[in-house]
Amino acid sequence: MSAPSFRPKTYVSVYGVLLALVLITVLVGYVDLGWGTEFVAVTIATIKASLVAMFFMHALAEKRLVWLVIAGALVWFLILVTLTMGDYITRSWLPFPGK
Amino acid sequence: MPSPTESMLREQYGTPEQQRDSVTVGMWIFLATEVMFFGGLFAAFAVYHMYFTRGFSEGSAEMNIVLGSINTAVLLTSSLTMALAIYHAAAGRLVRTYWLLLLTAFIGLVFLAIKFTEYYQHYQEHKAPGMWFESNSPYASAIELFFVFYFIMTGLHALHMTIGIALVVIFAIRTAAGWFSASYHTPLEALGLYWHFVDIVWIYLFAIFYIVGLHK
Repeated sequence: MSAPSFRPKTYVSVYGVLLALVLITVLVGYVDLGWGTEFVAVTIATIKASLVAMFFMHALAEKRLVWLVIAGALVWFLILVTLTMGDYITRSWLPFPGK
Repeated sequence: MPSPTESMLREQYGTPEQQRDSVTVGMWIFLATEVMFFGGLFAAFAVYHMYFTRGFSEGSAEMNIVLGSINTAVLLTSSLTMALAIYHAAAGRLVRTYWLLLLTAFIGLVFLAIKFTEYYQHYQEHKAPGMWFESNSPYASAIELFFVFYFIMTGLHALHMTIGIALVVIFAIRTAAGWFSASYHTPLEALGLYWHFVDIVWIYLFAIFYIVGLHK
């Protein structure tokens, strides 16, 4: 019945990688990439978030039902973002009056 | 006399295993609702960032990257101590769990102290939205909007941290009082999931607020 868990060495290694990624995020910020800066920052944030979820929250060792909940959360968030941005990005495309 | 594990088994569950799975899945479902809660704010931020790219970039340049980076490291450290606390609980070393939980709560308080230091700096620099807000930039309104998002989103995160710290202290006391054991520490795991999730939210807040304006 024991819960999934990793060894302390694993936790410390993941912690080290996370700190390195924080440093990389800050260094990337000092380069002017235009829109790319935001993209890279959020991409690195996603890698960090995945590491936290996989190891600290031990999603990696959980049952498929937990994975289903995580997938559900991500899919619903993608629907939220896709529909919202699909509206706002395309508003200037068509010459409707009163926009 | 029932064993500690049996006495912790609620009557609606057949086995301790089933009880643990229910708690874990239930906690993940709660976190999924939190994804939608913060997700709406992130989506709104993305829309306004798209409309007011220059202003939001100038707003981001007002951030204190040193304090922000230190705070990110501070929060990641608290996640490490939380993970280790649960590891030792699973091994039955509950004294270590107790001290690691108290350490986690303390590091959480350090995070809030640094966060409110930043808030005070923004206030002094007249960057808090409202009648005190001042900016010479042609994008002043957009910068003010950036700070509206900043204060609401990091403020809600700080609220989650405050709740988390209170829970960690309560669970440290319960650990000392003998509520948990190697065979029963599921509530600690649920607490850990919450704590790490709040950490993940901060990782994204750090990425969207602090980084874009750095090169200015």
